[in-house]
Amino acid sequence: MTTTTEPYSRPTTSEGITAFFRSQKAIPYLLLLPAILVILSVVLVPLLLSFWTSFTNYNLTKPDTLYNFIGLRNYQRLMGNAEFWWAFGRTFLFITIALNLEMLLGLGLALLVNKITWGQRTLRTIMMFPMMFSPILVGFQFKYIFNDSIGLVNNALFDLGLISQPIPWLVDGTLANFSIIFAEIWMSTSIFAILLLAGLMALPREPIEAAKVDGCNSWQVFRHITLPFLMPFVYIAMTIRSLDVARAYDMVRIMTNGGPAGRTELLWTLMTRTGYQNSQMGMANAMGYVSIILSIVFTFYFYRKLTAARTFMGGAQ
Amino acid sequence: MTSKIFARALLASCAFAGVAGGALAQEFDYGSFPDYTLRVKLIGGTQYEKLYTRIPEWEALTGAKVEIVSSKNHFELDREIKQDIAAGQINWCVGSNHTSFAPQYGSLYIDLAEHIPAEELAKYVQGTLEASRVDGRLVQLPRVTDVSNLYYRRDLYEDAAKQEAYKAEFGTDLAPPKTYDEFKQQVIFFADPPNLYGTAFAGKDEGMSGRFMEILRANGGDMFDENWNPIFNSPEGVAALQWFVDIYEAGAVPAGTVNYTWDDIGQAFAAGQLALDLDWPGFAGMYSDPAASTVAEHLGFAVAPVGTSGKSGAWSGSHSFSVTEACDNKEAAVSFAVFLTNDESELMEAQAGNLPTRTATFDQAAQWFVENDKPALAEMFTVFQQSLAEARTPPLVPEWIEVSNVLWPQLQAAIVGEKTAQEALDQAADEARIILEDAGRL
Repeated sequence: MTTTTEPYSRPTTSEGITAFFRSQKAIPYLLLLPAILVILSVVLVPLLLSFWTSFTNYNLTKPDTLYNFIGLRNYQRLMGNAEFWWAFGRTFLFITIALNLEMLLGLGLALLVNKITWGQRTLRTIMMFPMMFSPILVGFQFKYIFNDSIGLVNNALFDLGLISQPIPWLVDGTLANFSIIFAEIWMSTSIFAILLLAGLMALPREPIEAAKVDGCNSWQVFRHITLPFLMPFVYIAMTIRSLDVARAYDMVRIMTNGGPAGRTELLWTLMTRTGYQNSQMGMANAMGYVSIILSIVFTFYFYRKLTAARTFMGGAQ
Repeated sequence: MTSKIFARALLASCAFAGVAGGALAQEFDYGSFPDYTLRVKLIGGTQYEKLYTRIPEWEALTGAKVEIVSSKNHFELDREIKQDIAAGQINWCVGSNHTSFAPQYGSLYIDLAEHIPAEELAKYVQGTLEASRVDGRLVQLPRVTDVSNLYYRRDLYEDAAKQEAYKAEFGTDLAPPKTYDEFKQQVIFFADPPNLYGTAFAGKDEGMSGRFMEILRANGGDMFDENWNPIFNSPEGVAALQWFVDIYEAGAVPAGTVNYTWDDIGQAFAAGQLALDLDWPGFAGMYSDPAASTVAEHLGFAVAPVGTSGKSGAWSGSHSFSVTEACDNKEAAVSFAVFLTNDESELMEAQAGNLPTRTATFDQAAQWFVENDKPALAEMFTVFQQSLAEARTPPLVPEWIEVSNVLWPQLQAAIVGEKTAQEALDQAADEARIILEDAGRL
């Protein structure tokens, strides 16, 4: 092998790094460094650790099992676990129904409140009350409301003479799922209402007035001007809520804890029972990573819709 | 199995108590720990926190300070302790514990028998102390004992019309049930929904598994054989589950009972909605308090019914205190745990209606109830103490909670009519087998 003499000596890697950090170019990176370190330590490290544990039989009370690599065994077991896939499907349905109904009701509320000219601020504050309750309290509240023997709903129906036998709200498969969706909607509709109200308040008056001058009726104004303008707000609200909907876990745990007989089992109740009560954190994390597919699907869908809505607003059509 | 030893030891302890009383008077040395701060994680909740009013007394006695770093319900505390183990952050000394939870924690807690003199340990109910051991190590010091017993509404049993109707239908006098068959017969007889139900049972979590386990054992069956094979899908198990299915189908329990936990049942009985309630001693205080209960004046007590084997299989367990291996002052921690379970502390627990864990306290409490015009609780103590003789804990292995978590959803499935009792138990047994295989027991 022959060597050639270079006209100048090439800096070594360490000299290059030192030079970079002393240059002007490094300033933005240095300023961002604390934030990057914080994000790495609070987001990336736990993510990587939990991803690793999903390939182990990590048991919470046996720290040594963190290093027992078992390959894809947790994932293989999950593929054949009917209970898990039922919970997966039920969670998908729960999110779809709850978010859509919350959006529709939130939109209705926002439109109504937007019409009010006196006391709107007070009403907006009142509207935010359900958001202030912790999901555990909401769970206890609705567990009592839907209790079959002492609950408010059954007592009201008895008093009105509409039923002669108590309705098992939290037992029957359909009614139990209805009850937890009802509680979730009660708790979170106001989030949609507030976000959409903000959109309505930012709505320019000119296109609406122009449409009215052109003879559009109220429905046409809403359908062709107000709604398209609001759509970016709707999709932002949907995206935020689809990521935040797991807050409902505490509520479901108190109301049914996934029962009876798994009829209201959602991914969140199943994962918590597996990870904490059964201490099988490796398996619970594998469930978590499979269920992330759900979050990715919802987020991807809403972002695409958001981009489309913004393009529409930008006058592309 | 350990739980059988527990039952025998309980019997032995009752006989032992009277003879040994005089020799057990020696006082425990609580030590002196000036300027030391003891960090503790204690179970929260009204019924548990009254005892903590004694903590300043221990502080004055020893010169130490107590810092309660966590006070939560037991399920939350269990989760937090597991997180501490996973993170290797055991920076506290004393933690609340329970017979059902203790086997899960591995080597987290010390063997108290190495730190507490034998003469002090002899003051505890020996059966309860035996059930507090995990793999032979005394990892917890019991503070109150839970054992199932019957509460009933005396007014219903004394109602002449009901007595007549019951005699006409079944040919026997109406009296609190002595067998589970009678229990079922009576709860169906009394049920008049929605105003009155025969009973209610804890229908989810370990409560459901435990209720099933005690009828299974009362029928002569068990959860596992001596080699840890699940055998709860035996004919005795099917009969036990069918008992729940029958009373559910008959409408003798609220339909929502499959979502009930202890508090829901307690509220329903105190509101006069249930004729009978198989429950823990801790509810006696609330049920006999006219301010909190509509049935206070008609409250009756009876020992838990027996199954087809002639035994009651009464489910039992104890709340307790444990000391961590990582504690920097084990002497102070042990002193604290002993203080909160000594005769004075146990009397305080007993006065609230709990079954104490010190032998001497039973007589002291009975006398206190008589002197303080609480005849109902005095009667409760006499009746409930009898059931300790046949009391049994769940299997004391780390896998119990995990097995329970595959069992109760299947029990629910049979109760609400999705599966037959045999199908449900077979599936639960298959899932339990996998858990025990993974744990290396099979």
